[in-house]
Amino acid sequence: MQKYSVFSLIKNAFSDHMNWEVAWKDPTPKKEYDVIIIGGGGHGLATAYYLAKEHNITNVAIIEKGWIGGGNVGRNTTIIRSNFMYDANGRFNEFGMELWRNLSQELNFNVMFSPRGIINLAHSDAQMNAYARRGNSMRLNGIDAVLLGREEVKKHIPMADFSDDVRFPIYGGLMQPSAGTARHDAVAWGYARQADSMGVDIIQHCEVEGFNITNGKISGVRTSKGEIKAKKVGLCVAGSTNILAEKLNMTLPIETHCLQACVSEPVKPLLDGVVTFGAGHFYISQSDKGEMVMGGDLDGYNSYAQRGNLPTIQHVLTGGLALFPFLSRLKMLRTWGGIMDMSMDGSPIIDKTHIDGLYLNCGWCYGGFKSTPVSGWTFAHTIAQDRPHDLNSELSLNRFSTGYLLDEKGIGTKTWIG
Amino acid sequence: MLYIKCPYCGMRSQNEFAYGGDASIKRPELNKDVSDKEWDDFVYNRKSPRGKHVELWHHVSGCRQWFKAQRDTATHEIFKTAMMNEEI
Amino acid sequence: MSQEFRIKEKGYINRNKIINFRFNGKNYTGYEGDTLASALLANGIHLVGRSFKYHRPRGFFAAGVDEPNAKLQIQLNGHSEPNVNATEIELVEGMVATSQNCWPSVEFDVGAINNLLQKFFPAGFYYKTFMWPKSFWYKIYEPFIRKAAGLGIASTKKDTERYEHKFEYCDLLVTGSGPAGLASAYAAAKSGAKVILAEDKHRFGGSLLMDDVSIDNLSGKDWADKIISELKEMPNVIVKNRSQVFGYYDHNMLVMFERTGDHLEKKSEFTPRQRLWYIRCKEVILSTGSIERPIVFGNNDTPGVMLSSGAKEYMKVYGVLVGRKPIIFTNNDSAYETAIEFKNNGADPLIIDTRKEQSSDLINDAKNKDIKIKFNHAVIKADGYKKVKSAIIGELSEDKKTYKNTSSVECDCICVSGFWTPSVHLASQSGNKLKFDKEIDAFVPDKSKQEEITVGAANGNFTLHDTLNAGFSAGSQVSKKLNNKDVDIQIPNVTEKKHKTHDKFWCAPLPKNIKAKRFVDFQNDVSVTDIEIALREGYRSIEHVKRYTTLGMATDQGRTSNLNGLQLVSNIENKIVPEVGHTTFRPPFTPVTIGTIVGREVGKHFMPTRLTPMHNWHIKNNAVFVDAGAWKRPRYYKIGNETMLEAATREAKNVRDKVGICDVTTLGKIDVKGPDAAEFLNRVYTNAWMKLPVGKARYGVMLREDGMVMDDGTTTRISEHHYHMTTTTAQAANVLSHLEYYLQIVWPELNVNVVSTTEQWAGAALAGPKSRDVLAKLFPNINVSNESLPFMGYVEGDLFGVPARIFRISFSGELAYEINVQSDYGLYMWEKMMDIGKEFGIQPYGTEALSTLRIEMGHVAGPELDGRTIPYDVSLDGMVSKKKDFIGKRSLTKIAFNEANRQKIVGLVPIDRKTSIPEGSHLVLDKNAQLPNPKLGHVSSSCWSVENNNPFSLAIIKDGKNMIGKKLFAVSPLKNKSIEVEVISSHYVDHEGKRVRS
Repeated sequence: MQKYSVFSLIKNAFSDHMNWEVAWKDPTPKKEYDVIIIGGGGHGLATAYYLAKEHNITNVAIIEKGWIGGGNVGRNTTIIRSNFMYDANGRFNEFGMELWRNLSQELNFNVMFSPRGIINLAHSDAQMNAYARRGNSMRLNGIDAVLLGREEVKKHIPMADFSDDVRFPIYGGLMQPSAGTARHDAVAWGYARQADSMGVDIIQHCEVEGFNITNGKISGVRTSKGEIKAKKVGLCVAGSTNILAEKLNMTLPIETHCLQACVSEPVKPLLDGVVTFGAGHFYISQSDKGEMVMGGDLDGYNSYAQRGNLPTIQHVLTGGLALFPFLSRLKMLRTWGGIMDMSMDGSPIIDKTHIDGLYLNCGWCYGGFKSTPVSGWTFAHTIAQDRPHDLNSELSLNRFSTGYLLDEKGIGTKTWIG
Repeated sequence: MLYIKCPYCGMRSQNEFAYGGDASIKRPELNKDVSDKEWDDFVYNRKSPRGKHVELWHHVSGCRQWFKAQRDTATHEIFKTAMMNEEI
Repeated sequence: MSQEFRIKEKGYINRNKIINFRFNGKNYTGYEGDTLASALLANGIHLVGRSFKYHRPRGFFAAGVDEPNAKLQIQLNGHSEPNVNATEIELVEGMVATSQNCWPSVEFDVGAINNLLQKFFPAGFYYKTFMWPKSFWYKIYEPFIRKAAGLGIASTKKDTERYEHKFEYCDLLVTGSGPAGLASAYAAAKSGAKVILAEDKHRFGGSLLMDDVSIDNLSGKDWADKIISELKEMPNVIVKNRSQVFGYYDHNMLVMFERTGDHLEKKSEFTPRQRLWYIRCKEVILSTGSIERPIVFGNNDTPGVMLSSGAKEYMKVYGVLVGRKPIIFTNNDSAYETAIEFKNNGADPLIIDTRKEQSSDLINDAKNKDIKIKFNHAVIKADGYKKVKSAIIGELSEDKKTYKNTSSVECDCICVSGFWTPSVHLASQSGNKLKFDKEIDAFVPDKSKQEEITVGAANGNFTLHDTLNAGFSAGSQVSKKLNNKDVDIQIPNVTEKKHKTHDKFWCAPLPKNIKAKRFVDFQNDVSVTDIEIALREGYRSIEHVKRYTTLGMATDQGRTSNLNGLQLVSNIENKIVPEVGHTTFRPPFTPVTIGTIVGREVGKHFMPTRLTPMHNWHIKNNAVFVDAGAWKRPRYYKIGNETMLEAATREAKNVRDKVGICDVTTLGKIDVKGPDAAEFLNRVYTNAWMKLPVGKARYGVMLREDGMVMDDGTTTRISEHHYHMTTTTAQAANVLSHLEYYLQIVWPELNVNVVSTTEQWAGAALAGPKSRDVLAKLFPNINVSNESLPFMGYVEGDLFGVPARIFRISFSGELAYEINVQSDYGLYMWEKMMDIGKEFGIQPYGTEALSTLRIEMGHVAGPELDGRTIPYDVSLDGMVSKKKDFIGKRSLTKIAFNEANRQKIVGLVPIDRKTSIPEGSHLVLDKNAQLPNPKLGHVSSSCWSVENNNPFSLAIIKDGKNMIGKKLFAVSPLKNKSIEVEVISSHYVDHEGKRVRS
């Protein structure tokens, strides 16, 4: 594989960029693979990469019904964090943070991970206390967290509304300084390029139509490009989880919903970190290009349409304006929607299933992007070893039966309230 | 914004309603022995199909009646709404 | 000389009103009716900005929403706004415009060094570098990139202008007032349909303002004016200019923003700046017209290169000549009209037509006017840095891939026309899958998904005759469908020039010896080579191409670049365009001010504020308020220089020692009525309700089906079939919906009704050992003795003429009552109580004291009932009936909920009896243990116990049952605290509950 560097860039510039190799190939599927990963999103691509790299399993295919990186990895708000209250979520994602920190170098692809920090704002003492509970839990798990008072918040975001003309004044906030953002597309492409170079077949525009299961064991998948045999199959399809579950006669603790996000026109740098509003559903960061990247609520009803409606955007931006009045004269440039696999306790599932050789990776709600590396890493381990790693042992499917739930927000099963 | 026909009040914009999830889920009867699986199917497990979905809506900023709607989750088209005691 | 490029007596501007404005520090003038762009062009200014990546000089490219370059920083009326499209904003007296993204000036921009190094910045270059050394990305490279990126500067000043929302319903919404729109609106309106006609621009008429046509012997503009004035007269029609429909959402909901104030020099205080319209329509006619497509050639981004239609619009509408020696570079007939208009205004145009020599009405007209035409030629490259000075043109070879010869021609502008692209954005947003029309080489709407029809140029219909026909017919069709009425409309006679077919020529080949960038997307600096590199590297899906090169992702959303990009990809990939597909069109059509989307819910109006009837009394008595959901509640009443802790301690102590009064109006109140009410409560609550007598209250706990505690409160049996339920302030709305769900869906057989009465009752809690004395004086006719009105008793009374409900319930753990009167009498009641209570030392207390009192009593509240606790966890398991079934009971059998060492609520006191334990601390065995340090649980609520005069906390910890008496550490690394604590019972005061029964 061609190595990317400033030198290769200069070298190629002198040959008018005619000699760049393809980042990934376009193979026709083989008859059989050791592992098939369904879903060429961030998690699927990462899983294939770690299967090859960590477990030396390279006879792997990724099957994607559209184009790779076309799902939520290409339509999220790029936030990366490990600020969780539950140990299982905190440790899992903190392991992921370490993967993020080295990802550009490991993949030889600049994924632009930047630890620009995230601040969750609080607007009451009760909220400050809830954040203290979460932040202390993080600190005891070895994750960085700082509790900021109002004046400290002001130092970070002086353009927020600290005037008297606000409905819910800022009391303070919980900050994770090591949290940050990355370039979402680059993550998909970087994993794809490395996976491809290690022998993984990336098969695009190939839709799974059914599964072959013999005596409770998976033996392959039926696709729009024919039948492909496999010893093991991993499902990594986020918003399409329920559709594939139906083909497997499974009902899962997952509902599918649409989440919208939007960006403003680009402006000169103003906001360095990620900020979430505590008195409404709103979060914001500024991209390297200068766009304000904003998101918030689900559209509030089951949906597979990658399109939402304006009232949700209005609601989100109303929160935005309450926090940052300067947004008023910026213009909203683009809105889009993604399909979320909302789990019933808000935490993901990475586990084996009752079908031998079939593995499940889903329930990411609207936080899948940040977990892309660790999800791939642990899912690869679960598939290769046929048992969960310690890091994902609590992200089990049966926790809904046993009651060992990981409900970070305490809102229960009404997934659409988000 | 969806345009929903409340079976009691008529066509109203979505902002008058609250969503209530899958209407095909039936609560197990009181005082009846239910298996763990039956109970979890009621509390947690959902089909969440792509396409036609019969679901609950609540006219919270209106007559406060719950009712059923048959809606396409891919296109958001609403085919029919009905009172709780009507078939859909 | 000012406005030297203004043509005499042309255009629809008002020459009687001169407008003064500034651009990049210099004063200029224009006329009323100008856009900023037309005024600048009238003054001969083309160079307005620098490009995003290479900082290349850029000028006006279009005359409307399709403009990719001319985004300026505008200062007006004390506000500064970035990225304003100069081709759309109307000129207003005092406007100050500045070029963006350049330093020190647009004329001399240091960033232009990037242009020299462009070889090293191909598509996706940043993915390949800036990785070494690792720490440099965030610290060095990225800050530099961020600084270089972005366009204008966002003002951090508060926006003092007002934005409004409007909701409208109509039979038919017509988007765009060109010939198709006018015809369809007119036809439908004639039948009586309620029609809204929306035009984005200031002037109605669309292409009729520019095209050389006549309708019923009127000029296009005069006909448009006539139709508009007729429509405006009709009561069933709303005609709106400066109003752009930008989003087509579900169920025929379209959203439009109207620029109500931006063009006004002085607004009245009642005029909003912009207004958002939510329009629900039965039918939609999309008459959004088309946008001219450029042809790609070398240095096609040089100022002075613009769309032929733009040049024509500047001449016809604004009376501005964009050049005196123009080259018209075209692959079709429409640009000939531009050339003729140039000629008519004294310029000397040269037409470069990629087609072989041929004749048509327009070509002949041009020839007759002695306009030079070079057929079978193309512009290869523009020369000139900050303005076009000349062009290299070439005679095309047979396959049009090379040139037979090349030459240089002087010029001062190049007007380019690569045929027309229908504006299908709204149709696509509605869910219409587009189809590729090979005749016009562009996408047009396919089958309607919602109730929409696309007509005219937006549907690929480029002749006026057909467009008018389609418009009238669509309008009639809609009125027939809606009103079942036929409208008899005479279709007008049209005179227009016939066009010959266009040439499928999109990109001028670049001979080896000519070096130049050929831009596809101007604003994002995406060139032909960038697209080639992306494909070479395997980014072959059109979405990959878009994302890798950023093609079409700039603020103009690729209006002039998308189709050319598609054509290039399909040429290289040897596919036809429909196989390549198109990227998704998403709202908004053009960027919309965020203030407009938000409307009036700004500042304090972000959320409604709920106030109790006693609110003004609280203010007068120095209450400091706290937000409780939407409510404002007194947190404490400040006396002198008290701190919050001092005040809360004083108030709480006064309750324990004497008597206090607390505004509890905010508690949720629900009337539960009907013969099956008891049975219903029995199913909703965990405890038994069948035997509660009339005149008695009972405490109840309700669960979610997953077994978690949802809410708690008291419910009182007012009469045989009437119960008064109270909920916590936070859960009031959720509980009501929850009850309605079970009554209407799960147990419809129960004859019960529920209704919220929260707003109907004002409530005051009267608590403390002296509360009975106060009560006795408040209700002299009622026997308030312990025997007559015992704990959990209820009685109705007369409070000096006002009917009142008296509940003997307690949250503080003291002898206490809660009195409710109808809201209007809330203040009356409160003042009476304060007055009568004076002799007993009554004091009001706020939520802080309330918390103190409930915490030291071990009563759980929001921090403990956080949606993650089952009854056992918060010691409410005694409330759980074993005999009957209720909501959520089945979940309590789960393994996790029955672990021997399940978490449970406990009390904590610091060993030193002095140090307060911060809420949110966690409990650990060893404060110095290595991380991760295993946690036993967390501190949920803390107070200064007024009873024991030392800190006390509630905590929920693992195996809480067996932890009493143990010593642990409460640690808060966030606050750098670790406090040794002793685990005690969660009931710190009056363990047996004697006081409430006293």
